[in-house]
Amino acid sequence: MIGCGVDAGSRVMKVVLMGDADDRPLASAHAGQRPDQQALAAELLGQALRAAGIGSSDIAKTVATGYGRQLIEQADTVVTEITCQARGVRSLVPGVRSIVDIGGQDSKIIFLDDRGVRDFAMNDRCAAGTGQFLEMASARLGIPLAELGRAATGSRAASEITSMCAVFAETEIVSLLAAGAGPEDVAAGILRSIAQRVASLGTRGLEEPVVFTGGAALIRGLDGILSAALGKPVTVARDPHLTAARGAALLACELAVA
Amino acid sequence: MVDHCYDHAAALKEQGRPVVGIMCEFTPREVILAAGAAPVCLCGGARETVAAAEACLPANLCPLIKSTFGHHSMGSNPFLEWADLVVAETTCDGKKKMFELMAESRPMHVLELPQKPDDPDAFAHWLREVGKLRSDLEGRFGVRITDDRLRDAIRLMNRERGLRRELAGFMALDAPPLTGRQLLDLKSLISGIEADLEQYELAIRLYGQGAAATGSPLDRREGPPPVRVLMTGVPMVHGAERVIELVESAGAVVVAQENCTGLKPILEVIDPEAPDPLRAIAEKYFHLPCSVMTANRRRFGSLAALAAQFRPHCVIELVWHACLTYDVESHQVRRFAEDELKLPYLKIDTDYSPSDSARLALRVAALFETVRARAGGAGPGRTR
Repeated sequence: MIGCGVDAGSRVMKVVLMGDADDRPLASAHAGQRPDQQALAAELLGQALRAAGIGSSDIAKTVATGYGRQLIEQADTVVTEITCQARGVRSLVPGVRSIVDIGGQDSKIIFLDDRGVRDFAMNDRCAAGTGQFLEMASARLGIPLAELGRAATGSRAASEITSMCAVFAETEIVSLLAAGAGPEDVAAGILRSIAQRVASLGTRGLEEPVVFTGGAALIRGLDGILSAALGKPVTVARDPHLTAARGAALLACELAVA
Repeated sequence: MVDHCYDHAAALKEQGRPVVGIMCEFTPREVILAAGAAPVCLCGGARETVAAAEACLPANLCPLIKSTFGHHSMGSNPFLEWADLVVAETTCDGKKKMFELMAESRPMHVLELPQKPDDPDAFAHWLREVGKLRSDLEGRFGVRITDDRLRDAIRLMNRERGLRRELAGFMALDAPPLTGRQLLDLKSLISGIEADLEQYELAIRLYGQGAAATGSPLDRREGPPPVRVLMTGVPMVHGAERVIELVESAGAVVVAQENCTGLKPILEVIDPEAPDPLRAIAEKYFHLPCSVMTANRRRFGSLAALAAQFRPHCVIELVWHACLTYDVESHQVRRFAEDELKLPYLKIDTDYSPSDSARLALRVAALFETVRARAGGAGPGRTR
């Protein structure tokens, strides 16, 4: 039986197809967001179906999650990204106790116990501490997003980014560069500041193992900086940008047998 | 209810009787009623008046204070325009300083709230404050507030609080016959209006016979049973009901409202035969478990009692943005909910703007998914 998960995230939409007995997804697809959720979901689903070599009638159920979840008409059910993220990560790291997720426009920490989600804390009130903040910084520094971490490892004295607001942080970055700071020092400062913002969501009850998910987890080196800010080792999930969609697909499988 | 209030206040004004504005549940309504005046709640719930208020007040102030002050600047609240006196309670710093600005053009009586609920000196001071309110009302309106008039006012308010308690009590049923939102609508802006009390009695008869209001949780024929929520924190004044609507539309029923627009001020009965009725009145109000008190231990006793009576599955605390006392106290409430009541807790910090509704709905939906998953109920999602 095959379940389909659609994660209509704020910056990127992802589709994952899971067989209920398999660990690896049958197929997945993702693309940058556009206004037409319905058409984008259909396109990505078509890609995934072709990659898996199956037809749409083979999908037992579809679960949608993410900001655009209400707009995905193919979905049988909508589930929040908190529950989906937890389900997806638990299937990869069964004993997971904490999930740190940095997505396009929010960041969150999910606290789990043996039974699943226990509590969660979210930052969705400002752009600082989100993927979009990193995109802005990458453009300002002229360093590709995925390379920010590598650039930061070359830093000998990380700059201090103190602005709590993404707009003012951009001004701060410009000022630092104008004052002669090296891009690698600024990159290190930015990653440190984002890690600290996420840590400020609450380390109360943060238990190991801690798993790092979301598009920002694809930035090599950010996990180490996050570890330092949280005071706990952090593991990057396999395909960290797909874990919520994976969870949605697994929930779709469960829904089909329920 | 608001219609009743409008008609009632208009009729009083025609009779030449005074209207007294209040903004805090500490103001003893009995004393105002005993002066032959109508106590009317002035707390602003309209986001439309916030911008006007921000011309004077800082943006980083609670929306309730800003909305109230915006009505003052715009002249848009008929009850405030009718008010012959505003009681300026020193509930919090924001309110206290806002009242100074309002006093430039409106008659005002400052009522100083105590701070230390466990200190006998604090009560002695509070009793003197209530006495000063009595004297001020007598002088301003040329009336004598006798003990007998206070006893009559106590009986009236006991009846009103009793009826509201009885209505709220229906929420303890396994299938409450009304929503928390509907219950909230049954709270009048003015106390002691006979037409309101009759409406409470009618509602009690109807709900007592098992009649479900349209759109009540009982009307849901499909889907999982609603999640029972205890809401706590700041008041949800008329016009500012967005959060309770958002919570209930996510598949819940708010079974208890531990706040000033809900159960908090109606739980205690005053003895009308007490030897000193003013003292008896002062005692009732002194017991209010408000976050401006330090320490506010009574709130936790109240939360425990309400949790036992209404059997919620989770606690949602509402904090109006920049309400410092509730915001800081929320840490203790979270600990109490999780550790003592063993209930999941979610804090919602917001204002009157709807801009964060989608994000708040996500948090609420995630909380309910967790509650349902832990109850071993139907799947985590909401079938569409």
